[in-house]
Amino acid sequence: MENIEKQLREEAGKLLSEKKVDVLIGYGKGTLPYQAVPTIITEPGEAEQLVWNPFCTVNLAKYVHDVIFQHRESQKRVKPEDRTKKIVGVVARGCTTRSIIIHLQERQYERDEVVIIGVPCSGYVSKKKLWDALEGREPLECAVEGDTVKVKTQEGSRSVALKDVLSDSCFTCRYNNPIIFDVMVGDPAPPMNPEAEYEIVDAFESLPDDERWAYFTKEMSKCIRCYACRNTCPSCYCKICFVEQSGPKWVGVTIDESDTQVFQIMRIFHQAGRCVDCGSCVEVCPMGVDLRRFLKKLDKDGYNLFGHRAGESLDSPPPLSERSMNDKEDFIFEP
Amino acid sequence: MTEQNTNEGWEPKIVAFVCNWCTYAGADLAGISRIQYPPTVRIIRLPCSGRVNPFYIVKALQEGADGVLVSGCHPGECHYITGNLSARRKFAMLKSFLSYIGFEADRTIFTWVSASEGEKFANVIKGVTEKVRALGPAEKMVKTIGEPAQA
Ligand code: SF4
Ligand code: SF4
Repeated sequence: MENIEKQLREEAGKLLSEKKVDVLIGYGKGTLPYQAVPTIITEPGEAEQLVWNPFCTVNLAKYVHDVIFQHRESQKRVKPEDRTKKIVGVVARGCTTRSIIIHLQERQYERDEVVIIGVPCSGYVSKKKLWDALEGREPLECAVEGDTVKVKTQEGSRSVALKDVLSDSCFTCRYNNPIIFDVMVGDPAPPMNPEAEYEIVDAFESLPDDERWAYFTKEMSKCIRCYACRNTCPSCYCKICFVEQSGPKWVGVTIDESDTQVFQIMRIFHQAGRCVDCGSCVEVCPMGVDLRRFLKKLDKDGYNLFGHRAGESLDSPPPLSERSMNDKEDFIFEP
Repeated sequence: MTEQNTNEGWEPKIVAFVCNWCTYAGADLAGISRIQYPPTVRIIRLPCSGRVNPFYIVKALQEGADGVLVSGCHPGECHYITGNLSARRKFAMLKSFLSYIGFEADRTIFTWVSASEGEKFANVIKGVTEKVRALGPAEKMVKTIGEPAQA
């Protein structure tokens, strides 16, 4: 880990000093001990701020999209012949590269606008699980040593097994190594357990309708519609999101629970064939809504119906942007 | 018993999103040919089944539709060549997703009716009405609080 961090800083510094990138997006030390934060640097000297550890959580592809689009916006006021491109470097684990692939497939930016520093990933620490493991005691200092997390709380030091606090998405991750990259630091990480990927979906599918509905409504009733899940999601990049549209007003503004349910169904359904299971939305949700159980269903269907996994390769476009005469249609009603 | 009492006199309300070129014409043919079918369906005409935003279906359910029907041209016969093929992919995923979160599968129904299938259109409406009637009035996700008046 130390070693990867050192190499990462070197590569990042090199890219910046050789002017191969204008900005570089990575993770830096956060103000909380159990959370690294997205950090944007522009000078080679700032590469020392970068970190790489199991506290690096959110998917940075979102920031790539944001930086490129803000730059494009700023170029609108510049004479066409003087407009510049901004080349963005990014520290990317497997899921981040999948999101970048989705952006590229959806023609958001060109491949030459991003420089990808690939890093191997063995999963990140879910802050909610960490708090649960500490039974609500606040972690004051955290460090990962091998497969344990050493935590200092007000009441003294404790060790928590890393595997007990990894994010659910990470256990069954199929692509924990970068799929596309320009530079790779470190050796590829050992595989996780993708065979168990759809276990939560299979278990849920076997419940009766009413129990599933009860679970869905219970989870969604926690949601306060802060839209943090949307804001962090790399696949949610629309300039004007349906939740803010007022004509038509897709999402009502009352306290009726159905308004939240409609929001959730729509946001989740927008991820059909596009969710890379990075777990960022789950990680940022302040209310602990079980979003993954529902997102994973779309992933499973996308695979079973169309043999597609989101962002697995540049040559496999999102299933809903494709069509075929030969798709199964056993759901079509025949009187 | 009680259920029967509350549902007495209740007729399903079904919203049908149909394409202009096939199913709408099919419905027209059913009318011209004076084929009888239950008056449970409210038809909304769209250019193509590919124009049916999945959210129309979700919104119809929220607004209290007991059932939603979507019908377009048969695959291969789309006026816009492939609109219904794109639609079919969306619907396959949407129907499966709505069932997964607990909606009864028969609340959302997809079918193909061509312009010459007046008879089939009537049978579809009969079939869908029966399915929805068996489920009873929609209760899940039906909005009960009205939106504030727009300023
Ligand atoms: S929906 Fe959540 S898990 Fe899926 S890509 Fe977006 S942030 Fe990641
Ligand atoms: S982050 Fe959580 S609480 Fe906020 S809108 Fe998303 S699901 Fe709801």
